[in-house]
Amino acid sequence: MTTPVPVTVRARDLIASEWIKLRSVRSTYWTLLVAVATPIALSSLVAVTLANAPGQGAKPDPLLPGLISQEYAILAVGVLGVLAFSTEYGTGLIRTTFAAAPRRRAVLAAKAAVIGALTLLAGEVVAFASFALVQAVLSGKHLGVSLSRPGVPGAVLAGGLLLAVVATMGLGLGAIVRHTAGGIAALVGLIFLPAILGLLPAPWGARVGRFTLLDAARQLTALHPATDLFAPALSLLVLLAWPALTLLAAALTITRRDA
Amino acid sequence: MIEVDQLVKRFGAVTAVDGLSFTVRPGHVTGFLGPNGAGKSTTMRVILGLDAPTSGTARINGQNYQQLTRPLHQVGALLDASALHPGRTAEAHLASIARSNGIGRRRVAEMLQLTGLESVASRRLKGFSLGMKQRLGIAVALLGDPQILMFDEPVNGLDTEGIAWIRQFLKALAADGRTVLVSSHLMSEMAQTADRLIVIGRGRLIADTTTAQLTESSARRDVLVRSPRAAELAALIQARGATTKAEDDGLAVTGLDAPAIGDLAAGAGIALHALIPRTASLEDAYLDLTGEAADFRAGATP
Repeated sequence: MTTPVPVTVRARDLIASEWIKLRSVRSTYWTLLVAVATPIALSSLVAVTLANAPGQGAKPDPLLPGLISQEYAILAVGVLGVLAFSTEYGTGLIRTTFAAAPRRRAVLAAKAAVIGALTLLAGEVVAFASFALVQAVLSGKHLGVSLSRPGVPGAVLAGGLLLAVVATMGLGLGAIVRHTAGGIAALVGLIFLPAILGLLPAPWGARVGRFTLLDAARQLTALHPATDLFAPALSLLVLLAWPALTLLAAALTITRRDA
Repeated sequence: MIEVDQLVKRFGAVTAVDGLSFTVRPGHVTGFLGPNGAGKSTTMRVILGLDAPTSGTARINGQNYQQLTRPLHQVGALLDASALHPGRTAEAHLASIARSNGIGRRRVAEMLQLTGLESVASRRLKGFSLGMKQRLGIAVALLGDPQILMFDEPVNGLDTEGIAWIRQFLKALAADGRTVLVSSHLMSEMAQTADRLIVIGRGRLIADTTTAQLTESSARRDVLVRSPRAAELAALIQARGATTKAEDDGLAVTGLDAPAIGDLAAGAGIALHALIPRTASLEDAYLDLTGEAADFRAGATP
């Protein structure tokens, strides 16, 4: 009676299952609304401030407002990621999930795929929308930059990617910590505590700081990357290593503990 | 078929399951009975691959649970009816679980109908009563039309109507040839539902028997007799080789059944005021069995 089910079909079913879960709870819509609306509003505001600042000194980086505002959005999508696991552990639903899908790493992968894809999409929408608004404001003062300029499309894309990076990191932490508040605390700790190390006296600030998620993100999203940090290509690796290592740790712990 | 073999599960210093072995066969409702803390839920979690056994095995149709692809087609379980996301609708809850095993929307709709939840399918679960959640949990368990079903304390907190519904439901599933394992800490409940019993206490097997056998074997069968001439009657009964014991305001007679005692009294012209055959309830048999194994004993009955 049991015919073998191809792994691709099983993967598709698990992803579809997680997609149903994600879109059937309100917290998804709230966190996405915050993640999309906050940076678009904030980046426009920062752009207006920059455009009206008495511009005697160096010209401001025209991509800066976009990045500053993304840093607020990552908290919202990070919470979305944590919740994907922590609510299941909190309610006990995880037992139903794992009884239906005993290969727990496949569940983790399916959740990561769904959360990653959704937040990447949201991230890119935000990144390009903020970019358009910011440049519209800045170009009035001839401070803007065009999307066709070398380096700009990559920087904007990386801004969107940052959301997916933090969301999947949150997902991994939710699986490890299994508790909403604890997961969010761990996420905030991992993102912002290392950033303090960047304030160490030179050259230590940069030497340590270049490994932090936020400095890697800044290198990728700036028009003129800092010279004492990693080059953008290497910074991309650093940026991706954070969620990769978190998910790896989650994959190792998820099968070892009783559900 | 569920096979548990030499199962041990320790949580730190606490041994929840201690060398437990039993087999659950199709076609019966098998009651999984034991006092609170006896290890019933732990055993069920191990069978479902949720908790890793310290040693020993639990197999489903000869396979490890982890080896099952799309397990909902083989095993349906209801562990905790309240384990759900309160913000999700009943329909989305069922659909998400169904989809993970390749089960379609039509089956989801059928299960909602079967459990009488179709009118509340699009309501959020936070408004559901415990009875409704139990029904939803049963709908989840039945999604894959599995041959094996496990329910952990399914009648806990239900009203009489809900209890009757579940009872009849479990019997119908077993009559269908399915393997049905139902845990409970209440003998009275199991007496009405289960025809086979696995009794455990402190993680160990106490009895693996049928409900009828359990009553039979540990039954104290006697007849309570009351008579104004009890002493005379006692002598007559003892002369027949039966034993009597004075009890409250009568005699407890063992070794002679009620008609024989009645005839004997009538023959001697002794009036009887009471002649009551007594069998121990299943509850008594159960308490006898688990008496020493109960983890917590109440100082006084509440």
